[in-house]
Amino acid sequence: MAILGSGVQDGLLLKPVTYQWAMDLYDQAVANTWFPNEIQLGEDLADFKKMTEDEKHALLHLISYFNPNELLVNKALAFGVYPYINAPEGHLYLAKQMWEEANHCMTFEYILETFPIDRDKAYSAHVDVPSMAAKEEFESKFIKRMTEDTLDISTTEGKKDFIRNLIAYNIILEGIWFYSGFMVALSFRQRNLLRNFGSLMDWIIRDESLHLQFGINLILTVLEENEDLQDEEFAEEIRGMILHAVEMEEAYNRDMFPRGILGLNADYVNQYVKYLTDRRLEELGFEPEFNVANPAKWMAAANDTLQLVNFFEQQNTSYEVNAQATKTS
Amino acid sequence: MTITENNAAAQAATTTGAVPVVAGGIHVTKRDGTREPYDADRINKAIERAAAGLPDQIAITTQVASELAITLFDGITTEQLDEAAIGVAVQNVKDDPQFDMVAARLLRKVIYKRVLGGYDTELELALLHQARFPGYIRDAIEEGLLDVRLQELFDLDALAAALDHTRDDLLKYIGTVTMRNRYMITDRHRKSLEVPQYFWMRVAMGLALNEADPTGTALKFYEKISTLDYLPAGSTLVNAGTSYPQLSNCFVMQMEDDIEHIAKSVRDVMWLTKGTGGIGLSVTKLRSEGSPIRSNNTTSTGPIPFMHTIDSTLRAVSRGGKKFGALAFYMENWHLDFHQFLDLRQNSGDPYRRTRTANTAVWISDEFMKRVAADQDWYLFDPAETPDLVELVGSEFSARYAEYVALAEAGKMRTFRKMRAREQYKQILVTLQTTSHPWLTWKDTINNRALNTNTGTIHLSNLCTEICLPQDRDNISVCNLASVNLPQHLVDGKIDWDRMEQSVRLAVRQLDNLVDITLSSVPESEFANQENRAVGLGVMGFTDITERLGLAYESEEAYDLIDQIVEFVSYHAIDASADLARERGSYNNFAGSGWSQGKVPFDTIAEVEADRGVPVTVNRVTRLDWDTLRDKVKGGIRNATLMAVAPTASIGLVAGTTPGFDPQFSQIFSRNTSSGKFLEVNTNLVKDLQALGIWDEVKDQLLAAQGDLSKVDGVPQHLVDVYKTSFQLDPHAFLEVAARAQKWIDQAISRNIYLEDRDVDKMMELYAFAWEKGVKTTYYLHMKPRHTAEQSTVRVNKTENINRTGSASGRAAGGAASGGARKGFGGARKGFGGAKAAAAPAADAPVAEAQAEEAPSTTAAAAPASASRGFGGFGGAKKPAPATTEIPAVTDGEAVATTPEEKAPAAAPASVLSSIAAQAFATAPQEQPEVPPVTLPEPAPEPAAQQLSTSAAAPSSAALLDVVETVASGDTEMIGGVACPVDPMERLQCESCQ
Repeated sequence: MAILGSGVQDGLLLKPVTYQWAMDLYDQAVANTWFPNEIQLGEDLADFKKMTEDEKHALLHLISYFNPNELLVNKALAFGVYPYINAPEGHLYLAKQMWEEANHCMTFEYILETFPIDRDKAYSAHVDVPSMAAKEEFESKFIKRMTEDTLDISTTEGKKDFIRNLIAYNIILEGIWFYSGFMVALSFRQRNLLRNFGSLMDWIIRDESLHLQFGINLILTVLEENEDLQDEEFAEEIRGMILHAVEMEEAYNRDMFPRGILGLNADYVNQYVKYLTDRRLEELGFEPEFNVANPAKWMAAANDTLQLVNFFEQQNTSYEVNAQATKTS
Repeated sequence: MTITENNAAAQAATTTGAVPVVAGGIHVTKRDGTREPYDADRINKAIERAAAGLPDQIAITTQVASELAITLFDGITTEQLDEAAIGVAVQNVKDDPQFDMVAARLLRKVIYKRVLGGYDTELELALLHQARFPGYIRDAIEEGLLDVRLQELFDLDALAAALDHTRDDLLKYIGTVTMRNRYMITDRHRKSLEVPQYFWMRVAMGLALNEADPTGTALKFYEKISTLDYLPAGSTLVNAGTSYPQLSNCFVMQMEDDIEHIAKSVRDVMWLTKGTGGIGLSVTKLRSEGSPIRSNNTTSTGPIPFMHTIDSTLRAVSRGGKKFGALAFYMENWHLDFHQFLDLRQNSGDPYRRTRTANTAVWISDEFMKRVAADQDWYLFDPAETPDLVELVGSEFSARYAEYVALAEAGKMRTFRKMRAREQYKQILVTLQTTSHPWLTWKDTINNRALNTNTGTIHLSNLCTEICLPQDRDNISVCNLASVNLPQHLVDGKIDWDRMEQSVRLAVRQLDNLVDITLSSVPESEFANQENRAVGLGVMGFTDITERLGLAYESEEAYDLIDQIVEFVSYHAIDASADLARERGSYNNFAGSGWSQGKVPFDTIAEVEADRGVPVTVNRVTRLDWDTLRDKVKGGIRNATLMAVAPTASIGLVAGTTPGFDPQFSQIFSRNTSSGKFLEVNTNLVKDLQALGIWDEVKDQLLAAQGDLSKVDGVPQHLVDVYKTSFQLDPHAFLEVAARAQKWIDQAISRNIYLEDRDVDKMMELYAFAWEKGVKTTYYLHMKPRHTAEQSTVRVNKTENINRTGSASGRAAGGAASGGARKGFGGARKGFGGAKAAAAPAADAPVAEAQAEEAPSTTAAAAPASASRGFGGFGGAKKPAPATTEIPAVTDGEAVATTPEEKAPAAAPASVLSSIAAQAFATAPQEQPEVPPVTLPEPAPEPAAQQLSTSAAAPSSAALLDVVETVASGDTEMIGGVACPVDPMERLQCESCQ
């Protein structure tokens, strides 16, 4: 039995597990469970007051984008992935991921409700700001296709639609767009601003890293199981989608940084976007497109290393729950 | 080539792709609001100056300048420009620690300019330091910030003449930031008033106020602390010399079971928090939930809601306007509500029954450990029914506990619960693994080893688990801390014992001064401080020196080294205090203390052993002439306690060394502190790798492996052994180090534990081992995360990782043969459908080429794979260790009698616990040859010779230990020439002890 199918009748019994990677990701995702209210934002409010208008704008831009798009990912999963997966272990993971997206949305709600920012503006930005609306429309197009009656997952074209949606939400939205936003979000903490917001972002990034692991495993599995997808034209189409996404992100980042803030400007962030895009391309088996260096070397400290938390001063975000799950009982 | 040309060249070089070359359109907004064109030359000169004296000055300057250029934008302010330049320097530390010096100097230049004004040369800077000093003191006094006595008692010109700003180069970037954000004073508008040397001098003065020669003493203190030989603890650094000298670090209190006292405790917590102290608070006495309240014929809500109330209080009162309060709750594990206590730090559940800010620790008896070993039942009681238990320790506790158990079984207790002791023990450790709380502390080892319990029982330790002082309704015990910085005493590969002795003696004097100078807003703490004069001198930088000496943390040589160092520090601290008693008198509660009976800390190991009937498995080697000291302390000592090893998490940053006895967290890692997130690269390792000429080759691999040197290719084995990270070390090593040091320490040690293995059975064994070893307390448990976020700055290719490890592909077993490497669209790229993934790799030219190209870096990529082994590692992590058996699932209370475990006695966690029990009960203590007898000896005729012979058993580290036998004859007055120290510990959350 292949991983794709109409998951409605089959897949009510977990064992035997066919795709162990999905099971492993599920276990880790459960261990990663966290809640936004574990982090107190009080100290960040004082930082927020000190920030420049350009910095506040960038932050607002970021949150305004993340907030609705966490839910957009859920739609992509609910309409475009879950119904076409045959493996119950895949369903388990997707269910956990969907809860995580909900939790991320509530995290941004928590931030929006705590910081003294214009909430109406934040909520309407994804419609009012053209560069944000364009990204959203791009995603929605693929999701819509997945809901149409004419989609037949057993055909090559149906499988290609599945892959298109997967590339759109997982590689592009989560793997490139979100990741460039994470870099911007963490940059504040490197300047000793919004440290607690940074802790929330640590958790979100930890979750998203698993989402990407799941996505790439799913893509590789589908490609491996369906030789009919290995055609050059389709591959070029996918590559084109990703490169188009870079253009959209560049426009979005120019709106985020009309001028620049300490340590960051639109060109800098867009170079990072290109750096990330090359990584995603290579993971998919493509040649890199841009060959640029990572301008944000400081991400080594912000994200890449094990962190030793002064737990009196900062919430330790490295913990995992369910110790007993590791026990053989 | 000029710097600017260099800069342009570098820019051109790095402008692959999209990097915008900064063009002429950029303007800088000056402080007065005017704009001027960006002057690259000026910035470059500043960077160049900050790199002065470094081997790669020009290259460093070029790199910082070019990376700064891409972050610029039109309208950037001069302040932002300064900050951006520092940020760029800092982000290069991962490749070369020299950049840390550049960043630190750039930051200090900003501080100098703000505090002292502009300068051009080093000489001008030196003169400014001196010229501005008296004015700084006077202005700050006028503003009400500093103590007026700083002007009245001191010769400010003489002090100014001693200021040496070149010592600032001892400070790393994170140390400078920490000092600025935490310790230096600012005016009402948050403008900095101090440069680093002013800060040290202000602290030195603030601790010499009670001296006959304040200026002379302050100079001695300044000399020691400004050279980082020892450091006072946080609260002292923050408040010394200020108009609010709350200098003590730790406060330890017990809540009584009445509403008045609960309310008073809330009040006291607020005041102590305001003064920056860290707090330990025992709640064991509070009656349990549902316990009757006679006055209004209702029932109690138990201790949990009160703990939540205090937890909120910590958030409400900020310390210094910046940090929230810090407190640890202690409870004994026989309390009926203990299972709710365990849940206090869970991240879900009723928020009113959680303490998100406060920490928790459990106060464990020998009785419990023995019942765990013997797999017996454990009973929980309402303290309202068993009010005497909290006052009893050791065998007396056991006897009384047995009586209550008998009453319970006879149906004569109003309420109780019963469970297997092992079941509760496991619950504690499962909670510890998931929430890092509660910390395990052993009350009987603490009480039976104390020399200061003549005034009552010790009911808890403190926030950081290194304090052991008694308390009651009239006494909130107080401790005052400082730490000797070990690496400063390592000269040319040898420990400079004379310098160490000077540091210790001066630190003790300064701590004793502190007792008289500090002010508290809580009368009970003021009282306890005056009556006991308790101080705690510790050490930091242990791992730093083992690395420099080429010793592995988990080696016998390292164990002997810490044993020897702490013996030396303890000896001289006690001796200094005994000398102070002759100068200033003994502390008021001296009569009846262990000291007054001629005991020293080492002597109480045997007492613990005798009382619990289980050996303390630590060696009993001694090296110094303790008998002389025994006689001396019998005649008087100035301080109820002398030693405690604090975490030094913050002052360790200022000192630029590894905190306390902690191992290297990793060889490259980040610190998340209230001052931000900082990358730390182990400079000892970098030096060693540079000496081998391989640092540049391996640095990316090291980062990809998140600092695990064993995953880096081509590193000699002896370096891999010396540079193990905290998670690679056998955790028993942490306990062996603590046990050796604990021999000499009258209080305790903040012993952090680091674990990678999540097997709860192994944790049960590990913590039982700690108790056996006579370790008094453990502190925070750091679990290695199994999964971390995708890395940004090193090459990552998840597909390659999946292919290489097979770990994320569950099909390995079934589908391996059919599979071949998966390569996404790679198959399509080069041909039509036919050239699919399964095609032979050799035929796949582009792919093969890519792989060949990556040959050097495939290994680099391998590292992240195993680092993020989260997934692949699962099987192993979850796999039952074959021999270990299960303790039945945790169930509640009385059901225990029927648990299946009874049916399978053979399955008892025998592998773990019974071996402990076997050791514990089988070995007769007297079989250990080195163990001194239970009662303390009359001084043997030739003790020195005897001791040396025992130490001869020690391994070959003798070379570096050679100075040890130069035992000081107790009463020397060695405080000559070299100034001395001050050394408190830190403030903070434990500012107290950090």
